[in-house]
Amino acid sequence: MDKILTIIGAPFLNMASGSGKFFLLFIESIVWLFRPPFRWKQLFKQIEFIGANSISVIILTGTFTGMVFAFQSYIGFHKFGADYMVGTVVGLGMARELGPVLSAIMVAARAGSAITAEIGTMKVTEQIDALHSLAVDPVQYLVTPRILAGLIVMPLLNSIAVFCGVVGGYFVGVKILDINKTLYLQYMYQYVDLSDLYNGMIKSIVFGLLLTLVGCYKGMNTEGGAEGVGKATTESVVLACVLILVFDYILTAFMF
Amino acid sequence: MIEDKNIIIELKDVYKSFGKHDVHKGINVKVPQGGITVILGPSGTGKSVLLKEMMGLLLPDKGEVFIEGVDITKASKVDLVNIRKKFGMLFQNAALFDSMTVYENVAFPLREHTKFKESKIKELVIEKLRLVGLNNVEYKLPSELSGGMRKRVGLARAIVLEPKIILYDEPTTGLDPIMRDVVDDLIYSTQKKLNITSVVISHDIDSAFKIADYMAMIYDGKTVLNETKDNFKNSDNPYVQQFINGSKDGPIKMF
Ligand SMILES: Nc1ncnc2c1ncn2[C@@H]1O[C@H](COP(=O)(O)OP(=O)(O)O)[C@@H](O)[C@H]1O
Ligand SMILES: [Mg+2]
Repeated sequence: MDKILTIIGAPFLNMASGSGKFFLLFIESIVWLFRPPFRWKQLFKQIEFIGANSISVIILTGTFTGMVFAFQSYIGFHKFGADYMVGTVVGLGMARELGPVLSAIMVAARAGSAITAEIGTMKVTEQIDALHSLAVDPVQYLVTPRILAGLIVMPLLNSIAVFCGVVGGYFVGVKILDINKTLYLQYMYQYVDLSDLYNGMIKSIVFGLLLTLVGCYKGMNTEGGAEGVGKATTESVVLACVLILVFDYILTAFMF
Repeated sequence: MIEDKNIIIELKDVYKSFGKHDVHKGINVKVPQGGITVILGPSGTGKSVLLKEMMGLLLPDKGEVFIEGVDITKASKVDLVNIRKKFGMLFQNAALFDSMTVYENVAFPLREHTKFKESKIKELVIEKLRLVGLNNVEYKLPSELSGGMRKRVGLARAIVLEPKIILYDEPTTGLDPIMRDVVDDLIYSTQKKLNITSVVISHDIDSAFKIADYMAMIYDGKTVLNETKDNFKNSDNPYVQQFINGSKDGPIKMF
């Protein structure tokens, strides 16, 4: 009986101690924000890596999502003769949901995984120990700049995704499906509010925090050589994506 | 026995396990101030773990680790950081920062803990690299260096702040015989010149006898002997004798 309980209980205990450690890392990295020295150089490097290098992927993702979305919603609205509503739906969908979620998932796959691989490699090759031995805190040196960069960069990437999605939707709606241009734009302006954009922005800030924190957490807890790094990287992407979707639900439920 | 005065590092009855694997089962080591202590033992007996415990990179499960009389197993995070500033450490695999050039690696401790101008930093970095016999590698990445060169860069990084205590994890393993002599000499002269304390992990019994003032031998998670060099050499402990003679027959089992 004890054995059965142990087998069933172990994953839950691991999860509990895991999320405790995850939360502690979050607290620690935030505390380091307010304690000198501040790592400007590291921050800019990470903004470039997480942000600037993701722009092309985000442009592609945003544009194609907007285009597909226009096609799909057209099928429905056309049946009711409400073709011009396509712009509204694309705008709302991109701003509130698809922009933040898809850009965050793309960045988790691209940069979150790379963060885990980099920090994980440093862990298994004792570079993290070396930082400790040189009296430099790895959380301050590695984690804080990445999390801050994620917070700064994700809303910007989200804006790009939303903009590209709306442009892509317009292209498909007006140029390909021949929806009336004036009506398309008029209904879009009328029903898409600034508050919809804000909602999406708040989401993307939270997602930026989540994916960098998961990336760092999985990296800092990597064990077992090159194989361990590979495993941690995969786990990092999966966990980040799951958390993004879960928090998307929570935030949506709260904000709407 | 090592006399109880001027002990700078002391491990008292240290136990450490990783999962089911008991690495330390009662380690006692004293490191006197201002000398070279060489720690010997077959590989896998937890010598690297021992060094990491000395500067609080790993915490023992049980037992105490004193640095200048302060038990670091009970120290706060902030105190621990300050205690670590007394140390320099050469890791077994050098543990260079692989995203940085050799120059940036050696300059790193200076940039973190001093306010030196770039010209001064450059002077010190080049000086330390010359000291370990490296020329014209400043702008290479660690991945472009051989294992022995990486180790020497690690050595330069460990001594660049001229810390009070330097821990060397197998500084000469993997070096050619000439370079081995250079590094032994460097450890010896650094110690004498700066009157610091050095702890060296080694496999190499000849170089150990050359540089050591004190010696300790670890086997099967316990301290076999911790003595001055002469007492160690003349000990009739069968473990020590087997290790000194490099014989496969004796109480030490290699499996
Ligand atoms: N961080 C760690 N996690 C798990 N096991 C470890 C860790 N560090 C060392 N070990 C284990 O402890 C034992 C002793 O390691 P080590 O100190 O490197 O030996 P030595 O340096 O004497 O060759 C080895 O079996 C090693 O696998
Ligand atoms: Mg070792």
